[in-house]
Amino acid sequence: MNRHNNFGKHQEWLQRFAWLLIPVIALIGLPACQDSISNDSQQETSVTSSTYNGPAARTNDIQGFRISVWEPLRAQNRCGACHNAGGQAPLFAREDDVNQAYDAVNPFINRTEPDESSLVTKVANGHNCWEASNSACATIITNYIESWVGDGASGGRQIELEAPPEKVVGDSKTFPDDPSLFTSNVHPLLTKYCSECHVEDAASPQSPYFAGSDSAVAYAAVKTSIDLDSPNNSRLVQRLLELHNCWDDCPSNAQEMETAIANMADNISPTPVDPDLVVSRALSLPEGTVASGGSRQESDIIALYEFKTGTGNIAYDTSGVDPAINLTLSGDTTWVEGWGLEFKTGKAQGSTSDSRKLSQLIKATGEYSIEAWVVPANVTQEGPARIVSYSAGTDDRNFTLGQTLYNYNFLHRSSTTDGNGEPGHSTSDDDEDLQATEQHVVLTFDPENGRRIYIDGQFTDDQDETAPGNLNDWDDTYALVLGNEASSNRPWVGKIRMLAIHNRALTEQQIQQNFEAGVGEKYFLLFNVSSLVSLPQSYIMFEVSQYDNYSYLFRQPKFISLDKNTIPDSIPLQGMRIGINGREAAIGQAYARLDTTINSSDYTANGQLLSNIGTTIASEKGAENDQFFLTFERLGSQTNVYTEPEILPSGAVADSEPQSTIGLRTFDEINASMSSLTGVSQTLSSVQTTYATIKQQLPSSEEISGFLSSHQVAVSQLAIEYCSAMVDDSSLRGDFFPGFDFNINANDIPASTWQDQIVAPLMSRFMGENLTTQPDPAMVESELMTLLTGSVGLARCSGQCAADRTAKATMAACASLLGSAVVLLQ
Amino acid sequence: MSGKRQSKHLLPGAWLMIKLLTLSLVVLSTTPAISGPREQAKRIHDRITGVPPSAETLEKMVDEIENNNDPLAAAMLAIEHPDFYNVTLKNWATPWTNEEQTPFAPLNDYSATVIGMVRDEVPFNELLSADILYIGSNTPAYSNNNNDHYEAMENQALNLKDELKRTTQSSVTGLSSEATAGIITTRAAARAFFIDGTNRAMFRFTMLNHLCKDLELIKDPTRSNNRVRQDVSRSPGGDSRVFFNNCVGCHAGMEPLTQAYAYYTYEYTDDEETGHLSYTPDNVQPKYLINSSVFKDGYATPDDHWDNYWREGPNSLLGWDQSLTGSGSGAKSMGQELANSHAFAECQVTKAFQAVCLRSPGNAADRSKISEMTNNFKSGYNMKRVFAESAVYCAED
Repeated sequence: MNRHNNFGKHQEWLQRFAWLLIPVIALIGLPACQDSISNDSQQETSVTSSTYNGPAARTNDIQGFRISVWEPLRAQNRCGACHNAGGQAPLFAREDDVNQAYDAVNPFINRTEPDESSLVTKVANGHNCWEASNSACATIITNYIESWVGDGASGGRQIELEAPPEKVVGDSKTFPDDPSLFTSNVHPLLTKYCSECHVEDAASPQSPYFAGSDSAVAYAAVKTSIDLDSPNNSRLVQRLLELHNCWDDCPSNAQEMETAIANMADNISPTPVDPDLVVSRALSLPEGTVASGGSRQESDIIALYEFKTGTGNIAYDTSGVDPAINLTLSGDTTWVEGWGLEFKTGKAQGSTSDSRKLSQLIKATGEYSIEAWVVPANVTQEGPARIVSYSAGTDDRNFTLGQTLYNYNFLHRSSTTDGNGEPGHSTSDDDEDLQATEQHVVLTFDPENGRRIYIDGQFTDDQDETAPGNLNDWDDTYALVLGNEASSNRPWVGKIRMLAIHNRALTEQQIQQNFEAGVGEKYFLLFNVSSLVSLPQSYIMFEVSQYDNYSYLFRQPKFISLDKNTIPDSIPLQGMRIGINGREAAIGQAYARLDTTINSSDYTANGQLLSNIGTTIASEKGAENDQFFLTFERLGSQTNVYTEPEILPSGAVADSEPQSTIGLRTFDEINASMSSLTGVSQTLSSVQTTYATIKQQLPSSEEISGFLSSHQVAVSQLAIEYCSAMVDDSSLRGDFFPGFDFNINANDIPASTWQDQIVAPLMSRFMGENLTTQPDPAMVESELMTLLTGSVGLARCSGQCAADRTAKATMAACASLLGSAVVLLQ
Repeated sequence: MSGKRQSKHLLPGAWLMIKLLTLSLVVLSTTPAISGPREQAKRIHDRITGVPPSAETLEKMVDEIENNNDPLAAAMLAIEHPDFYNVTLKNWATPWTNEEQTPFAPLNDYSATVIGMVRDEVPFNELLSADILYIGSNTPAYSNNNNDHYEAMENQALNLKDELKRTTQSSVTGLSSEATAGIITTRAAARAFFIDGTNRAMFRFTMLNHLCKDLELIKDPTRSNNRVRQDVSRSPGGDSRVFFNNCVGCHAGMEPLTQAYAYYTYEYTDDEETGHLSYTPDNVQPKYLINSSVFKDGYATPDDHWDNYWREGPNSLLGWDQSLTGSGSGAKSMGQELANSHAFAECQVTKAFQAVCLRSPGNAADRSKISEMTNNFKSGYNMKRVFAESAVYCAED
């Protein structure tokens, strides 16, 4: 059941909650009974109506009118104050006879487009709205009428497409071929302040490379970052305003950049749109046909926020269910283009008295749903950060939709949870269901299934581990608050684009339906291509919406003719691009590779879908002023070959700082070298074990400036291991040190023998011979001899040395040379 | 380590260590200056093999340089040394086989195949497309489910120059020949880059390792974004400028290429090390379709058809092979597209240059040499010769 087919539901609702509406309250604050704008201050929002004792509704349609429109509007502080029996015509709010009221209202109702009904537009234009915002009253009355006239049987309202005004594509400033204006005005700033990163040969190069010394190359790279028509919209300016690497004060730096761009732009005359382009007619967003957004399930809505006002410090509850819980904005809370609120540290909070209806109406059914379109700004906030909360502070709540990192949290007071809604229910950590992008989130609670969380129309499959319980303990003194806790200390950063609270648990099918309906202001833009295809009233139609503050979403492109007798056939369409303000958009051309044919076999009364891909196009001057058009490489017999912008080869690369021409051997090289030089196998258990242990302590890079003392320690360890293995192996040492007797006591071996039979073979093998790139042999020899036979030499003891000292001294001499730079350097 | 050996080490103790350090620092402080053929020969050998030459090899190399005036022949002598394969090539290739880019990772089928292809002078532009694999004769035998075969080869310090045998992936792993794509479809590459995620990692690291271009360097937001998948937010955190300025620059061109990997994934249960490459012809892996509600008007991958949007725009400077069409289906043809680009050839040459010169090309002479070697490389794609030419060039530093 949807908004358009809900008589039964409303009847039930009326019976169930009549006690809320029927009591007569004294007439207070009657609105004036003449055409005047009375929005100076917020008016009384509680409905004041009386019991109906007149004739019963003659038909189902009249009964629908009675439930959906007449009952809420006949109140004395609504239309009933004037348009009652004996009052001001039309008498659509007369309390004596609903059938006559029905007859009176019909001329003012547009059943195909309820928001175009006179009953709505009159109020929208300032006629006695009971809220401070005329648009809020208009939305409320539209919702009433939609509830009444909706025809669920035919699947929702049909959109009446209207031919847009004929407008040719306007001129705009374009970049001259000659970069001299850029060179003299903007380039100096870029080379001065941006060249640490935005050059190709930077240490950490960041494209685009617009800060190189070659201004022609920089000019080619910078074009997408400069807006000649609106210099302040240039990315070069906006990035500075976003605090992107300013050189001192960001606003003044941005101003300096904007001035430089303006100086450049002032010297460029607007050029006409490229005459070679095959272009459609132009359109701005408001010139499109407003799309309905599809049917939504709203029969049990008790609070609704669509944020259409877009200004002021009140977000209106347009559910039409009184009292309206209008939210007061405070702190850092701003309106979002295309409907929504953005929260940083602020909140939007209703009064506790108005919020009481949530407790009353939800306790009456024992179930509810919180439905929201949200855009979390990040996946790092926690607390949980409060997105929507009906609570008194950090410890007391009836319900809360919150965020913890990648999870949505559902806190809910019941007989099985505590006053803080604990234990809570959350989406699974592993699923990371919450993403920093626009998501449709629905929390439902009912006594059978407990708490459930749906994201983008799908149940997350996370089961509530707490038994459902009942809502008898709900506290009706709490406040509805968005973007924070009532105590203002659990801020959530992100956007809420719509919030609906239902006092029924929506079914998965209903949730899917509402997800499909989408959110925000949508238009059908019909780009006239009649002259290009030589068929009357022919258009390429896009569904366009404001995607966020910085872009538009273009989707579902269709070819359609509003002339019902026109059936297109065999019309080729290739390379369609979206233009904005006289130029093809630089980024987002998702249809540039489109290659299709418009055929009678694929064409229906709703047109022919050209692509199921959507794309976002950056906004430039805002939704009111941006003018769009389409270009085609081929449409019908019209063609224009698209030419890519000229690609300039990379500029000359600067020479690097002088680099070392020598380097270190790295870990495997050291191991292999030591094995090769000593003759010890790498697979010998002792060296293999040591190598495995110290491998990652050895140099991994040849860069000589990265050599650390820890590297030397590891090198020494490995050298000792190899030399030890070599000296321990009689065969290997015999080959290496021919003639040397290891059984002679070290102290008894003359220095000349150490020199000739130990040091000389070591130097010959490890250093090579006659190599001027190796250290001076005499110096190395001297060091080794000092090590062996110096005053505290290893081969010199007071008295006799230990028997194994000869081998150990040899091993030490070997290791000291093997682990030194003569081997380590290459 | 035994107690006996410990005591032996400890005897000279700190004193010896100090002597070692002192000597090393003294020697390190000397600045070598390359001069004659003998020094050049030593440097060529050091750089190509990682180890010092034997006296005999050095004499032969000196002879080639001094008497035959053929330093390239001297370099080719060094290339015959086993450590060119066991050390230099292994450490050259190993960082490409893991996300951390560490050279300490064990030998695997990816690095072994690179080593084998260089040894056998297999045209290196087949690296990303061939039905090729190098295995050893050791035990345990090659397994689709672990890396034990190669780790055993490394632990036994087997001579890879002799040990590696050329075969085909299709005959060893069971992957159909048309599904093979050189090192892309090795188990090690799958373990590193097809695991979890969205397979974009395989593309990113292939670009990084084999075209020497990380995505940041080649982002081009002006390409059509019609293939950017549904899982990419067009308004991260509610700010579409982030998408325009960052995301789309890479995704617009990357997505239509990464689609080539749509049928591949790395399957494992609990232990990532015991998984295997999985190929599901005609069935797009679910990872390509995840998070579809992030931007439901985005692209839903239907197959493994790929297109190279970067043949136009600034990235046409990567030098794509005009004899190829720039589109196709599957990883093999996409691998050919990448490996026949000028950027691929230049990247391989530059990497070899850095491996043997121990520095990056830094001046006009270096860049000219890179250009010359790249052009030579593109006729035959002989990687071994690039190493030799680079070593000869840098021997004169």
